Amino acid sequence: MGLLDWSRDRLGLGPSGPEVPIQDLRFTVLDTELTGLDERRDDIVSIGALQMQGGRIEIGKTFQELVRPQAVLDGRTVLIHGITPSQLEAMPPIAEVLDAFLAYVSGTVLVGHCLSIDLAFLNRDARRLKRPPLGQPAVDTLALFGWLRHRSVEHPAFAQELSAPSLFGLATAFEITVEEAHTAIGDAYVTAQLFQRFLPLLAQAGVRDLSGLCRVGSPANPTANLQGPGGQTHF
Amino acid sequence: MLIDEAVRFLSQIPPFQFLEKGLLRELAHNLTKEFYPKGTVILQQDGPVGEHLQIIQKGVVKISLRPKGGGEDVVIDFRERGETFGLVSLMGGHQRTTILAVQDTICYLLPKARFNELVASDPAITEYLLQFHLTKYADWTSREIQGKNLFLESSDHLLFTAQVGEICQRFTTVVEADTTIRQTARRMVEQRQSAALVVGANGEPIGILTDSDLRTKVVAQGQSIDGPVTRVMSHPVASVDEAVPCFEVILQMLQREIYHMAVTREGAIRGVVTNHDFLVLQGRSPLAFSEDIEHQTTLEGLAPVSRKALSIIGVLLREGARAGNIIRIISELNDRVVRKVLELAERELGPPPVPYCWLALGSEGRKEQTFRTDQDNALVYADISETQRPRVTEYFRRFAVFMRNGLVQCGFEACPANYMASNPDWCQPISTWKRYFSTWISEPSPEAVLRSLIFFDFRPLYGDESLAWDLRDHFGRLIPDYPVFLGFLANMLVKNRPPIGFFGAVAGERSGEHKDGLNLKIKGVAPLVDIARLFALERGIRHTSTLDRLEALRGGTSLISELVDELEHAFEFLTLLRVHHQAQQLEAGQAIDNFIRLDTLSSLEGQSLKNAFRLILKIQDQVLDRYKAFII
Repeated sequence: MGLLDWSRDRLGLGPSGPEVPIQDLRFTVLDTELTGLDERRDDIVSIGALQMQGGRIEIGKTFQELVRPQAVLDGRTVLIHGITPSQLEAMPPIAEVLDAFLAYVSGTVLVGHCLSIDLAFLNRDARRLKRPPLGQPAVDTLALFGWLRHRSVEHPAFAQELSAPSLFGLATAFEITVEEAHTAIGDAYVTAQLFQRFLPLLAQAGVRDLSGLCRVGSPANPTANLQGPGGQTHF
Repeated sequence: MLIDEAVRFLSQIPPFQFLEKGLLRELAHNLTKEFYPKGTVILQQDGPVGEHLQIIQKGVVKISLRPKGGGEDVVIDFRERGETFGLVSLMGGHQRTTILAVQDTICYLLPKARFNELVASDPAITEYLLQFHLTKYADWTSREIQGKNLFLESSDHLLFTAQVGEICQRFTTVVEADTTIRQTARRMVEQRQSAALVVGANGEPIGILTDSDLRTKVVAQGQSIDGPVTRVMSHPVASVDEAVPCFEVILQMLQREIYHMAVTREGAIRGVVTNHDFLVLQGRSPLAFSEDIEHQTTLEGLAPVSRKALSIIGVLLREGARAGNIIRIISELNDRVVRKVLELAERELGPPPVPYCWLALGSEGRKEQTFRTDQDNALVYADISETQRPRVTEYFRRFAVFMRNGLVQCGFEACPANYMASNPDWCQPISTWKRYFSTWISEPSPEAVLRSLIFFDFRPLYGDESLAWDLRDHFGRLIPDYPVFLGFLANMLVKNRPPIGFFGAVAGERSGEHKDGLNLKIKGVAPLVDIARLFALERGIRHTSTLDRLEALRGGTSLISELVDELEHAFEFLTLLRVHHQAQQLEAGQAIDNFIRLDTLSSLEGQSLKNAFRLILKIQDQVLDRYKAFII
């Protein structure tokens, strides 16, 4: 990390100023797999992430770690994740993985599908372990989809009836091949490709820099954009 | 998983499929993946130069060129899944074409630095690039097209006016569904068809098998060729009426991601059209030129056609012809012009009093002309009695002068060293020619050998060829008896060392007009020609062209039998570099020469040049060893 980025990072400014064009931004597209959705009881079982320079997905720089969770695994999630407790025994604890991950994402803008859930768990663990929270700008692909849908962007995918679209519903609509679904890295890769499809559409609609991206893609309430032209987000 | 996906993809496509898995994985680490929505201008002509080799994973891009003088963009090529683009900008310093995503397109991007390393380290990649990319994608093809704008306009126009029925290939090969791939392929070959129609039990068309299906599905995927043709045919058969304009068919093919369509007349299938047919249509084929030449009946009519034939080089480069084929085709066209002038000469001066044979010498004799160089020719006629002599010599004197002037008119400069039939020395009866060769071979001197080399590459071009073969047999019989002659050739060969330094750097001229330049003809092409000639004469091989000579030496017992591939390769590369250089000069209106500036070479070209020079050095060392008794 350069000195400038480092100082920005320390000052909580994120990787760069608000007017940095999208193609100059570095993104970390991430997904976590969880034992469940209860922040009080559940845990992260894996983190998968990859990085993009602007719209370019970097093939060789993925982050892929399984985590030994503290919580008891319930049967349902084991089925989805395909990871058994005995496999998990061999995995590193969250402290180790989180440190590596924090270093990995440093200086990048975070991207995820329904990212607030991932962020909630990551930041909870950071808090517990006395690590700094993930403070950098973050963008949610679901929020982006909702926003784009109401900008009458010409793309056949927006004409389809997807009221509360799942990641895989969107992948199909945008002709993205899904492999290794429901692994953290597999889902992160699908999300990254979705984000990649969105970037030119966003540019068409006038969203070209970090501030614009944060405004229309805020992970705070990703479904708000989906509700219709009367919704709260305007650009 | 991103890596796995990239490796899986790369391992299906050349040249990456030739790399070992470990290297491929390592390479995949360096890739990025980019998405270009339909309509994106990926690279803009005269805009910033691309920094990557782009490998298309999905989609289609169009490569086009805006002619210098203005006018409509000319479409050069379409690239699709598994093909690459951007190599041109990696190698040159200038973006010469515009590349547009015709569909949503996804590319893997290989950074320039890593690509250069790969080229330097991996012979498989280098080989592929030289054989395919350099010829197909080299940046100067676009310059060529710009230079030949006038010439292209008419043919591009064809795409918009011609109906698909006019250019489609008629089906004559029709096979039943249970025919094997092998049988189908054999019938296609016998009937010289590049596609076959597969029909069902009631004769209804169910699929098409093309040459490219055979290549991609059978050869590449290792399908058994004894399987039924239905396994590899393309189906269902998309069809289009014969009256539809070509450009509409191209659009349909692009939109439907298919590469051939059946052409129908009133609903019945009549032929097939492939995307390759369109590419060919865009350029004018050499065939059309040779017909133009044939149709001329006067020198005045022939001259402009002949001069125009130069522009064919642009088309050949653009269509990805290999250097070896380019020079052969140029020679073929030149031959036709010369024969035509000979016909005109006979018509002008009356029939020849005795049989004669017109000989092409030097590079013309080897069929290795690039751009028109000067005339190098000679004339041999049957032996005559003393009484005939004055009349016959006078006929051929006037004949040869007519030829010289006629050829000059057609764009072939007179030879400054006077190696022309119009020089009485080189217009002689066969007994005199035999005496010349006997002297050159049995009493060689370095100067005489150097001067006579051009004659050892003679080729009969017109007239009574038996005279030429008689002469060739004559010196073929002499050579084994006078090893000192080959010794002189060897001596000359090893003296012309490639300018390559101790650490492998190629050195240019130290001073003078061409400082830092490299004479490609003398330092690059000539040693290879000399190597092929030496060993061909040593083994009594009659061929004159360098590539033919090398081919004939393949697998034999000669010193270079094992190096034929490398030699052919080096020859192709150096020739291409030379054609490239001269094409640029021609376009810029400069005089044509053989000096390339080393600092203008890309790293790939530089590397290939070094490899060629190392090969020459290696053979020179072996020749030195074999002929050491004769080396002065």
